[in-house]
Amino acid sequence: MRESIIMKIHYGTALAAVALVAVHILMRLTQGFAESLEYDSVIANYKFLPYAGMLEIILILLSIHGFNGLRVILLELKQGKTYEKAVSYGCIAAMITLIVYGSRTIIMVNTGMT
Amino acid sequence: MTNQDEHKEGIGGMINPRRYGIERVAYLLMRLSGLGLLAYFIAHIYETSSILKGQVGWNEFLELTQTNAGHAILAIVIGMCVFHTVNGIRVMLGQGGVGVGKPARPDYPYPPASQNIRHKMGIYSAITLAAIAMMYGLAIMFGE
Repeated sequence: MRESIIMKIHYGTALAAVALVAVHILMRLTQGFAESLEYDSVIANYKFLPYAGMLEIILILLSIHGFNGLRVILLELKQGKTYEKAVSYGCIAAMITLIVYGSRTIIMVNTGMT
Repeated sequence: MTNQDEHKEGIGGMINPRRYGIERVAYLLMRLSGLGLLAYFIAHIYETSSILKGQVGWNEFLELTQTNAGHAILAIVIGMCVFHTVNGIRVMLGQGGVGVGKPARPDYPYPPASQNIRHKMGIYSAITLAAIAMMYGLAIMFGE
């Protein structure tokens, strides 16, 4: 994929994540910080499908943005065909692993498999 | 013929904030905050997975994070998040050609048009907003 397209994805995921993370943080503040972290409150959040869907979208957006950012930093430090391929594929693998691990939590709690 | 590689400074050159003014500091802070936020994001995903262990597992993990040290780390994360967001928007606007100045005749000492007062104000605003957000976060976390 062309770097110009990757950077457009990088900026797009950033802008979308800013809006959704703001909602995620406001949910903590509207309830009171400590109360919002209580077990029952967190379970209720996960079981509310629109909120669980938003968490899943945040997970995907931030994973893409975060690991592409890491890729950019690592490519600034060193260049070379093998190194660049290893960094790119390594970041994609780490990104997929994190999305799968985070999705597992969201799906299991949402469907009551706790 | 000299080897070009000997002129490369590697990580040392990348993290040296003393040259090129506040823009270089913003460049360094952007990368440090990005790496910090990625580390926090991974830790946060792992932390929230403890809810799968039930109420006891969740409360045990919450006890680890709801400490003074945990609150201090969260305040730093808030600061990094706000700086990364505000400075990121500045960088995006700059790359889109917003606020980078108009083309002009290159006169000595050739000041870069893009490194102008508008972008410097953007960087200082990002640092100030990050500091305010950190203080607000600390007030919320320690105020309860």
